[in-house]
Amino acid sequence: MTVSREKRCVQVLNEALHELFAARDDVHLLGEDVLDPYGGAFKVTQGLSDAYPGRVLTTPISEASLFGVAAGMALRGRRPILEIMFGDFIALGFDQIVNGIAKFREMYDDQVTVPLVVRTPMGGRRGYGPTHSQSLEKLLLGVPNVVVVALGECHDLEGLLVAAVEDDRPVFLIENKLMYGRPNRRPEDGHVGELAVRETGSPYPALTFSGTDFTEASATIVTYGGMLPVALDAVTELILEHEVFCEVVALSQLLPLDLEPVLESVARTGALVTAEEGTLTGGFGAEIAARMQELAWGDLRAPVRRVAARDGIIPSARALEDAMLPSAEDVVEAVAALEGVRS
Amino acid sequence: MLEIVLTREDANTEFALLAEWLVADRAEVEQGQPVCVVETTKATVEVEAPGAGTIVQLYEEGVEVELGKVVARIAETAEELASLESGAEAAPPTRKPDGGERKATRKAVELAERHRVDLSAIDKRGFVTEKDVEALIARQAVDAGASERPLLAGISTERVTLPALCDSPEGDGVLEPSFLEYLLTDPASFRALGSEEKCRLLRENGASIGDGVVLGEGSLVAAPRIVLEDGVELGARATVRCEEVVAIGSLTRFGPDLELLCRRAFVGAGVWGGRSVRFGGGGHRDPWAVLAVGDLAFVGDEAFVNVCRPVLIGREVFLTMRTLIVTHNIGHSVLEGFENRFAPVVLEDRAQVGLGAVVYAGCRIGAEAIIASGSYVTADVPAGAFAIGVPAKVTGSSSHKLSPPRRAELAGRILDDLHELLALRGHEPTALEEGEPRGFEIDGVRVLFTPSFREAVPGPAVVLTLDAVAEPPEGVAVLDLVARRVLGNGGEVLEAARELCRKRGIRFEPGPWRYRGGLL
Repeated sequence: MTVSREKRCVQVLNEALHELFAARDDVHLLGEDVLDPYGGAFKVTQGLSDAYPGRVLTTPISEASLFGVAAGMALRGRRPILEIMFGDFIALGFDQIVNGIAKFREMYDDQVTVPLVVRTPMGGRRGYGPTHSQSLEKLLLGVPNVVVVALGECHDLEGLLVAAVEDDRPVFLIENKLMYGRPNRRPEDGHVGELAVRETGSPYPALTFSGTDFTEASATIVTYGGMLPVALDAVTELILEHEVFCEVVALSQLLPLDLEPVLESVARTGALVTAEEGTLTGGFGAEIAARMQELAWGDLRAPVRRVAARDGIIPSARALEDAMLPSAEDVVEAVAALEGVRS
Repeated sequence: MLEIVLTREDANTEFALLAEWLVADRAEVEQGQPVCVVETTKATVEVEAPGAGTIVQLYEEGVEVELGKVVARIAETAEELASLESGAEAAPPTRKPDGGERKATRKAVELAERHRVDLSAIDKRGFVTEKDVEALIARQAVDAGASERPLLAGISTERVTLPALCDSPEGDGVLEPSFLEYLLTDPASFRALGSEEKCRLLRENGASIGDGVVLGEGSLVAAPRIVLEDGVELGARATVRCEEVVAIGSLTRFGPDLELLCRRAFVGAGVWGGRSVRFGGGGHRDPWAVLAVGDLAFVGDEAFVNVCRPVLIGREVFLTMRTLIVTHNIGHSVLEGFENRFAPVVLEDRAQVGLGAVVYAGCRIGAEAIIASGSYVTADVPAGAFAIGVPAKVTGSSSHKLSPPRRAELAGRILDDLHELLALRGHEPTALEEGEPRGFEIDGVRVLFTPSFREAVPGPAVVLTLDAVAEPPEGVAVLDLVARRVLGNGGEVLEAARELCRKRGIRFEPGPWRYRGGLL
């Protein structure tokens, strides 16, 4: 059989959900088309409704009411997991998120919590067109009191899911459509492939990758989610073709932003590139660049560079979509363009 | 036979991801058994086997497949399976390019190829870089017992024939400390002495000085240990001052104004050096300042070899006029990112460096390679290569293969050239009658050429040949032009033939040898 040694991410998430449901009676799952035998558009919830009938609720196509129902369950002490079939549709729930879910705890003076988990896949590169391919998590980054966690293919997916369910704050788990089908490449013996990896100890850990075992390097690339394999490809190309070594910091917790692992890496490398699949303006990279120039001005020998999607609408045609979204080549070019990169 | 087709689920999708095979290729499947997972827009579906049989997969998982294509066939009988397996379609499923395998950088691969080392000898977690290959090369050089000589550790002497004097006993030629003191404190008075007087004083004070050594007017030789073999000639105003030892082999000569400054110098036998040759420069007193020049090397006028790290020059190496070899650079702080290089230079046997070419610290020129005039060598040059340019790039081979007839023709031309030259010099060579072997006669000695010397010819004769099979009889000398050997004795005519051959690049054993004049 040609199945990879590592489990595919979708399988890891599916098994993690099954274990969570077995371990906790207060966990529920709500979403569109999540009932078996269909088991959800991306099959993350497969088998769950058969195993736990009554705790898996399939809902009408109305994300606004979905968010409202889930928020109510959370307020009443349940641990609902909300599956939004495509990340693009969180826009429909934004009033619930911004004016309700994020604010209840403070407005009611800590008498309530909203332990809600929203799981949703973002990202393009599948030819799904303008309204099914976006990376909209940046819209959440300015919302106070919510947690945004991005899953990358090298992270402990089960650990992140469990941490999100156990978190008393509302947590958005940003998944990725391409990641589902890819193997969950967890570090083995401190390495993923030829790259050495360090993992922080927080509930939503960051991974730092190094081709030199954390000695000398030319730049740090900070990224997350679906851009992780793109950044790793870029780093591998830079090493193999140019002997330019970069570290990659793959954050999982995007909000509240914890830049400690980025600061640590930049102290070694002296330069930073941000890489995200969302559009450039007002994005993840913009926020990080602003903070890094405040926190690490003395370590940076060149301006922070951002790699992101062009500011525009994602086309359906695959060739046009590829031109729109950031590629490994874009990351390589950004590193090459850093003034003073040591090669 | 049954087909598994990816059906089109909706109007706006043309491709689907074949996410996972749920069964192995060639597995037995049941009707209705899920065999693969396919992802399309908004849907991840399991595809079921339409019937029972042996599945033959046509695509690897993880690839995008055009909808409507057959992704697998199910053979319901052994015959069907056999026919499927013999068909072109049943070739192994299209595999995605595997990017995860390569772990050596391009620079590392190129360096390994240049040095012909096997990358699999590097046992390392992580990427293999140029540095790792450099370390491997150094390690293998040591493993090969390349150099048990101190300070040459890590430098491969493969294809570098060092002069025998490198191994001369430590007790040879040790100078009386008081005499060395005199040489160093009052060099002018030693320089003023005649050659014979200089040799006598050195000999009396412990130096090993052979017969017929000539130390030119105004010259100085000073070192704790001095070995000058028979016939060494140093030109006027030579300055030889070594911190530990200088040893020069028989019949080696340098023109006027030689400067030889380093810690340990070993110059082989039969080396020919021009005028104003300099060995030394910055760092020549460094512990690593070791110079070895192989037998029969040629060092042209005004050549400059900087010796602050070992410089190994193989046998029959040509350094033509104004060759410049450096073992270190000079510049700004290494802590500001400037290069600060101190590295040995190796020229393997019979390498040639053209007029005014520069060889940078750390480079190794392979055996029989040629560096064109004016080139600047910044990287290793493989054996047998022709390199030219700034920086020097390999553009071809330094020599080409000769066919046996062509070689015989060229050898015959040497005979003709010798004939013509002797005539031009005012001698009276006379052509022999047509026949084999062909040749001419001069002063009663016949000079002959035969591709293969098998049977004795009557003497006196000098025979040029490409293959000396037989031993020459009394009165006959044989020059084997390919094996480069001299057999027998032949007087002035043999000496003249040998000299002409030298000018064609053919040097003979036994050597060293120097033409003392005569017919030519």
